[in-house]
Amino acid sequence: MQQRYPLLRILADGQFHSGVALGAALGMGRSAVWKHLHALAEWDIDLHAVPGKGYRLARPVELLGHDLILNTLPPTAAATLSGLEIHQDIDSTNRYLMNKARLGAPSAQVCLAERQQAGRGRRGRDWVSPFGANIYLSLLWRFTLNAESLTGLGLVVGVAVNRALHEAGLIDAGLKWPNDILWQNRKLAGILLEMTGEISGPCAVVIGVGLNVRMPATQAIDQPWADLETALNRPVSRNQLAASLIQHIIHAIQEFELHGFNGFAQEWAQHDLANGKSVALHLPNQATVNGIGRGVDASGALLLEDHNGVHHYPYGEVSLRLMP
Amino acid sequence: MDIRKVKKLIELLEESGISEIEIREGEETVRISRHSQGATPMVYSQAPISMSAIAASVATPAAPAVATPPPVGHTVMSPMVGSFYRAAAPGSKPFVEVGQRVNVGDVVCIIEAMKMLNQIESDKAGVITAILVENGEPVEYGEPLFVIE
Repeated sequence: MQQRYPLLRILADGQFHSGVALGAALGMGRSAVWKHLHALAEWDIDLHAVPGKGYRLARPVELLGHDLILNTLPPTAAATLSGLEIHQDIDSTNRYLMNKARLGAPSAQVCLAERQQAGRGRRGRDWVSPFGANIYLSLLWRFTLNAESLTGLGLVVGVAVNRALHEAGLIDAGLKWPNDILWQNRKLAGILLEMTGEISGPCAVVIGVGLNVRMPATQAIDQPWADLETALNRPVSRNQLAASLIQHIIHAIQEFELHGFNGFAQEWAQHDLANGKSVALHLPNQATVNGIGRGVDASGALLLEDHNGVHHYPYGEVSLRLMP
Repeated sequence: MDIRKVKKLIELLEESGISEIEIREGEETVRISRHSQGATPMVYSQAPISMSAIAASVATPAAPAVATPPPVGHTVMSPMVGSFYRAAAPGSKPFVEVGQRVNVGDVVCIIEAMKMLNQIESDKAGVITAILVENGEPVEYGEPLFVIE
């Protein structure tokens, strides 16, 4: 297990490496090398073995690099960060930072992972997180604002992720309330915010972003999905993308701390997929409401119009389905 | 107007015997009232019809403590408007049950609003004697959730 990542660093270039050369580089015998190569299948990594040439990855992979990401960040954003951790294999980046937050970790920490064993969506749903394929990013931020003042934050992060996608060249992604990011009606990125803190005092928020970059087609995912390389039809640098996400999320949080959701309402509305469309909203108490999407209010609550008028829906346990 | 300022005003109102307060600041005006939901400028006051009946029967946003007489013991209150969940996921074991002992910092429930999941921790050690909200129901700011003795 400890040797798996060093082995991948060598193989990441997608070139052939002989078993002998790999063994020499890692200080192990050929049979040990073979065992570790074989174990790559546990991470769903495809390997080609060609007699006389050696081993290579089916596709080269750009591994996440701590210094690479820090050096790509604008100096102000880099200076804001109190820490940047990259894990090869973790249960969940959000869970990791939530635990650190409880132990008193300072604000502005980022945790990235190459793979999550138990990537999470909301309410116990899985977030499929194979190795080296996508972005799994969490950011811990401590707010002096209390929980009630933060309800629009999830939408703000959606706007920030969309800004990073713009920077990467994707201009036709849309936002689905409260904070899913879709491309051609398929889920490209998801955002999960978890919070802990005193009832009326300051709180710590862990912002989790899962962004599909190069999702292997073999992954079983229970909803329509897209990835960025398909949407752009070209390779994407995960390090650049991670840096861009960090920069835009930090910037958006700082904007939000100063001015609240108001400053984001217009940009959110521009990308609102439900605006003017007929939608069904499933409420936490099992009821379903139908209406026409009318954007969001100043707090970020969804506005739905029915024959009685426009209603506000701040409650989070809803899913929004775009109807034909 | 800064939400923190509005919150301060609400606190002021709650501590005093005043039933309504109006503040003008430049072009912005905020009026906070204890009684009339329509006049309350709090962002969540216009609850959707399907929920307003439930919400109104439990608490008015400005004066939650008045609407529900607090049972004996320590009350854990909701820090925000959202949906109340007793377990991490549908079908999972609830964080706490009546009769269960909790320590300070134990997660007792989750309140979710706009996909922001707030893990509510107990701020008191003791035994849960009452769970005041049904799983999946909406809760208001300051609404009592649990009683701990």
